[in-house]
Parts: sequence; structure tokens; C-alpha cells
Amino acid sequence: MSNVKPAPTQCLGPVYRSESQKPTAAVSTGVEFDTVTILPQTPQLIALLSIIRDKSTQRGDFIFYSNRIIRLLVEEGLNHLPTVEHTVTTPVGRPYDGLSFQGKICGVSIMRAGEAMEQGLRECCRSVRIGKILIQRDEESAQPKLFYDKLPEDIADRWVLLLDPMLATGGSAIMAVDVLKARGVPEERILFLNVLASPQGIQNFATKFPKLRVVTAFVDQGLDEKNYIIPGLGDFGDRYYTM
Amino acid sequence: MPSSMAADSRTPVNGAASETDGTIATRAHYAPPWADVSIIGIAGSSGSGKSTLSHAIVNKLNLPWVVILSMDSFYKSLDEESSRKAFRSEYDFDAPDAIDFDVLVDRLRDLKAGKRAEIPVYSFEKHARLERTTSIYSPHVLILEGIFALYDPRVLDLLDMKIFCEADGDTCLSRRILRDQRDRGRDIEGIIKQWFAFVKPNFEKYVDPQRKVADIIVPRGVENHVAMSMVVQFIQQKLLEKSTHHRAALTRLELEVQSERLSPRVTIMNQTSQMQGMNTIIHDIDTSSEDFIFYFDRLSALLVEQALNNIPFVPVEITTPQACTYAGLRPRGEVSAVIVLRGGATLEAGLHRCITDCKTGRMLIQSNVRTGEPELHYLVLPPDIHRHEAVLLLDAQMSSGGSALMAVQVLVDHGVRVDRIVLVTYSAGRMGLHRLTKVFPDISVVVGQVVPDIEERWVEKKYFRC
Repeated sequence: MSNVKPAPTQCLGPVYRSESQKPTAAVSTGVEFDTVTILPQTPQLIALLSIIRDKSTQRGDFIFYSNRIIRLLVEEGLNHLPTVEHTVTTPVGRPYDGLSFQGKICGVSIMRAGEAMEQGLRECCRSVRIGKILIQRDEESAQPKLFYDKLPEDIADRWVLLLDPMLATGGSAIMAVDVLKARGVPEERILFLNVLASPQGIQNFATKFPKLRVVTAFVDQGLDEKNYIIPGLGDFGDRYYTM
Repeated sequence: MPSSMAADSRTPVNGAASETDGTIATRAHYAPPWADVSIIGIAGSSGSGKSTLSHAIVNKLNLPWVVILSMDSFYKSLDEESSRKAFRSEYDFDAPDAIDFDVLVDRLRDLKAGKRAEIPVYSFEKHARLERTTSIYSPHVLILEGIFALYDPRVLDLLDMKIFCEADGDTCLSRRILRDQRDRGRDIEGIIKQWFAFVKPNFEKYVDPQRKVADIIVPRGVENHVAMSMVVQFIQQKLLEKSTHHRAALTRLELEVQSERLSPRVTIMNQTSQMQGMNTIIHDIDTSSEDFIFYFDRLSALLVEQALNNIPFVPVEITTPQACTYAGLRPRGEVSAVIVLRGGATLEAGLHRCITDCKTGRMLIQSNVRTGEPELHYLVLPPDIHRHEAVLLLDAQMSSGGSALMAVQVLVDHGVRVDRIVLVTYSAGRMGLHRLTKVFPDISVVVGQVVPDIEERWVEKKYFRC
């Protein structure tokens, strides 16, 4: 498998611990795109990923721990939204110079695995509108094909959080962005939230959409001959919904 | 009265803190208030009104955490022969020999050092110590009452005040008959036999001479209101002195550290735009309760996620469904939490979003309205907490650091290593952070935001809506 690179490793832990006190683990492969944000490789994040990667992890734990990672992705993604300065008075009567959120948002999940990220999104953004896009691989051409979409009518006026936990070749994510752009959403107002990506997928996606921001928890080593992410975590949708 | 405020007199609980031993020299000096319990000894003849006086003092003092310790708990267990004698009312319970002074002194010393003490439970029906013990933990005032409360010189050294109760002999005998019949299941004949065989001669030989070492002799027990007020006033004065000392020690800590940088073990949350936006909503007096709770829960989950980066991990090799291996991490052992009530309970929703089944201890620490000093009112911890790899200590706000210092010390007293404690708090003042990390340099702290100075506890008011 020539397109699988060895994973970089690192001692992980708080700064006040010496290197010898910190355990070593495989961390995300780096990427060269400014638009791509990889979550800080904290020991806690690596531990969460270790749980959902483990093939012996049961569905209940898979759901719980992947949800924790997704919440961290959403929290990081929301930081890319605009804010304005805003001063309030606190309950103890002192002024507080803060920020207020600007711009309307909505979520769009790429079915089926992307829907697994909706709960995490809702835990951070109550009553958020969520559109859905169904893209499946056409059996004859082996190319992704749009089967269904249902999106908020005013989506062109909103910031869009596009949800898909796995980015392998990037085929369906690219198609989903094309759908959004056709509805009038400018590229720079789309945030793609992703749990696990392959370097190839990131490369394809970020090259195609240079203004679109990507937030991912981890860039893995590569793809196998069936285009599965390696070492990966299996089929996210199956593990979340049916296994 | 000399003050026994010895700043570094505390020693770690057995096996608790070998790691902290090495750092004691560099630690700032701080004696938590309960490390300096006031012990009052009340001696006097059987039936002279010692326990009535003790209860009256408790009522008059009207303080939380006043404990009465009866010396009856320290009767020696009887061997078979003595036990037979005891059942025939021929055993001398009223001689100093019947009391296990060694155990008593040990327990009093533990309490004086601010440690938990296991008090034996004695059964008068069985004339033996029971298996179970009663735990006493860090009282403000301890009243030791018993006919020989002022007998052992080692006990006398530990007492802050020595009281001797005096009563007329006939009064004593009649009270004794009533009590032993009612509470100890004895018959009148046995009681009277004991009185003349043991109680009276022992009184003259051992009990009465204790009046020579007493600070105050109280005639006529509880009916003596003047003596009662004197005793209560004295104790109050003593507590005020100690509290002044305690707060002076806190101020000293503050002066020592004002100019220094925060410890590297203090993590202040990155002030991202979301964090600032959430903080703004939380701080806005006009925010609805629904929004306040929603954003506070969201933020507290992030605090807990950050705190969990401070727990110990070990490498683990994972096999993925693709049959590949991944060099990951897993927590080294159990992580539990302790909520400092009431404020800490605001972080519980966030805690459970990260660890659904987290074992959770609770302690109620309240600042004394009069002195501003923290007081421990309630404590329940997971029994195996000293074996947990990490303990998250949750509180909503920290200003002077007084209650956080107390909470950490309580955990240390229960065998939790300081380097395993992660204090998680929504906001903290620099002063409090300095104090805490100066006293406990090995503690990790995760703070949502650093606020300039002392602030009242408004977060819990808003979160719980009262």
C-alpha cells in the first residue's frame, strides 16, 4: 500500500510534565493547507479516538465517545463564525466587555453517517436548522451521485456547517459542496466538520475549495485498495446505527 | 492561653503523600482552620451534670461542627473474669484503670492535627467494644466529657479549657440511679452497690483532685447561668482569635505571591471567540435562565474536557475494524469527581457529558457569615477515592481560595495525592490561584477565565435560580 504513510508519534500530556512522564501515541498527519484545522492532539482526544477506533468497542460506547469528539469539532468550527464586540452588565453590577455571535447558521448532514453528528451539533446550537443531502455511489459508474436533498430555503443567507465524519477520497463531500454552492452558498461561508480524514481526501477537497474551512479531529495514514481510511475506524454509519 | 497555631504541624495521612513530603520545605505555610480544633475538657463526679453541661454549651455556642466526645467510648474491653464481675456489678468502672487513655490520646492528637479519628463504640450491655467505630472529622470545637477528662497529663496538654463540674453528693447519686436504669439497663440494687463500693471512694481518690488543674469550677451544673455564659464567651473569644490568625495567614500568602507568575499547572481556557461569546451571555444580567443554563452547561463540558487532559494516560495498541493497529492512549485508571457544594453542582451537567457514570463525592463548605472563614458542614466521598488515578474537584467560582484550600486539604486527609487532584472552576481570581498553588504546588487547575478580584458567588445563584 504505497499511499499509506507511517503515522507520526508524539509524547502527549500537559506542559508541566517532563517528556518521560508523557506516554507516546500516534498523532495526526500534518497538512499544508491553511484552511484545514486539525484539533489539538491532546491525550484526551487520542484516548477518545482510541475507543472509537477499537473494533471491540460496543455500539453504546461508540456513540457516546464519538459524540464527545463531534462536540469538540463543533466547538472548534463555531470559532470561525463572525462576532462583534458587545459589553454587558454582570449580575454583580460590573461591566463585562465581551463578544456577541453574528450570522445565522444551519447544519447540513451528508446521509447517513453525517446525521450521526447532528446530536453533537444540537448540543452546542439549540434548535439549529438541519438540512440533509443523500449521496450514494452509482453502481455502474462508481461515481458519487446525488439522490436527495432537503435544505433550508434561506440557506444562501446562512453559514453552513457541513457534517460528514469520514473523508476518504472526498468524492461525496465535494459533491455536497457543489450542491450548496448551486443553492447560492458562497464557499467561504461553509465549514466542513469531519472526524477522520485521509491525506488524499484532504488534498482533493482543500485543493478544489481553497476558501472553504475544514475542521477535522485527525488525518489518518492513508487509504487501502477499497478506499477505506487506514488505520481508520470501520464504517462510521454502521458502527453508529446498526452494528 | 497560648495559641497552638503551628503552621506546619499537619502530617499527611498514612501512605497518602510520600510525594508531597519532598516538597514540604518549599511549600507556603498554611494551617487550615480545622487543624486547630479547640478541645474543652469537662470532668466531675458521676451525675454532676457533665453531659448536660456539654449539651448546654453546644446549644449556646450555636456553631456548626461542635462535637461532644464522651470518655465512656474509651472504656477498655473486659476480659472474661472482669466481664463476669461487671455483670455482678463488682467491676470498678470508676477507676482510671478502666479507661484506655492511650487510645484516647491518640485520637485526640489526630483530631488536633485535623485528621479524621475513628472513635470506638462501647456497649454497656455487653461490657465490650463493638466492631464498628464512629468517625469524627475536623470539628471546630470538641468537648471531651468524662469523670477523668482532666486526669491524664497527656490529655491535659491538648486541652484549651479545663472545666470541673461540682455537685452535691446526693444529687449525684440520684441522677446516677435514674440514668443507669434508663440508659444502661441496670437494676437499682446493682447501682447502689456500685456507688458505695467504687464510685464514692474513687471520687475522693481520683476524681475530686482534678479540680486542682481545672481552669473553671462550675458548681450546680446547668442551673449556674453565670458560669455557663463565662464558658461560652471564653470559647467564642478563642475561636475569634483562631479565625483572625487563619485569615492573617491567608493575607500573608497573598503578599508573598502577588508579583509572581501563575504556576504552569494552572490552565486558563483559550479565550476563543466562542468562549468569549458564551462568557458574554453568561455574564449578562439580562440573559434568561434557559439561555444561562444552556450556555453554562456547554462551557462546563469544555472545562471538563480540558481537565481530562491532566489525568494520567498509558499507551494502548488498538486493532481497528480494518485489522490495522493504532498506537493510542487510554486513561491509566479510574477518574472520579468531588463536588464542592453548592457552586460545584453547576458543573455536574458538564461532567456527566464527558463521564456519564463518574463516581462523585460531595462536600458542603460554607463561609462563616461572621468571620468569612470556610467551614466544612457535610462530606461524603467514594470509599476508594485514595486509589483513583485522578480526582476532579469541581467548584463554580474561586475568589479568596479559602474554600478551595479547605476542599483540597480534605481530599489529602482522605489519602488522595495532591498531584492527582485537578481543580476545575469556571472563574478564579489570581490571588486565589496563587494561594492554592503555593500551598499545594502539585495540584493542577483548569480555569474558565481569570477575574480581577474577589467576587460574590453569583453563578450558582443564577444557575439554580435562588
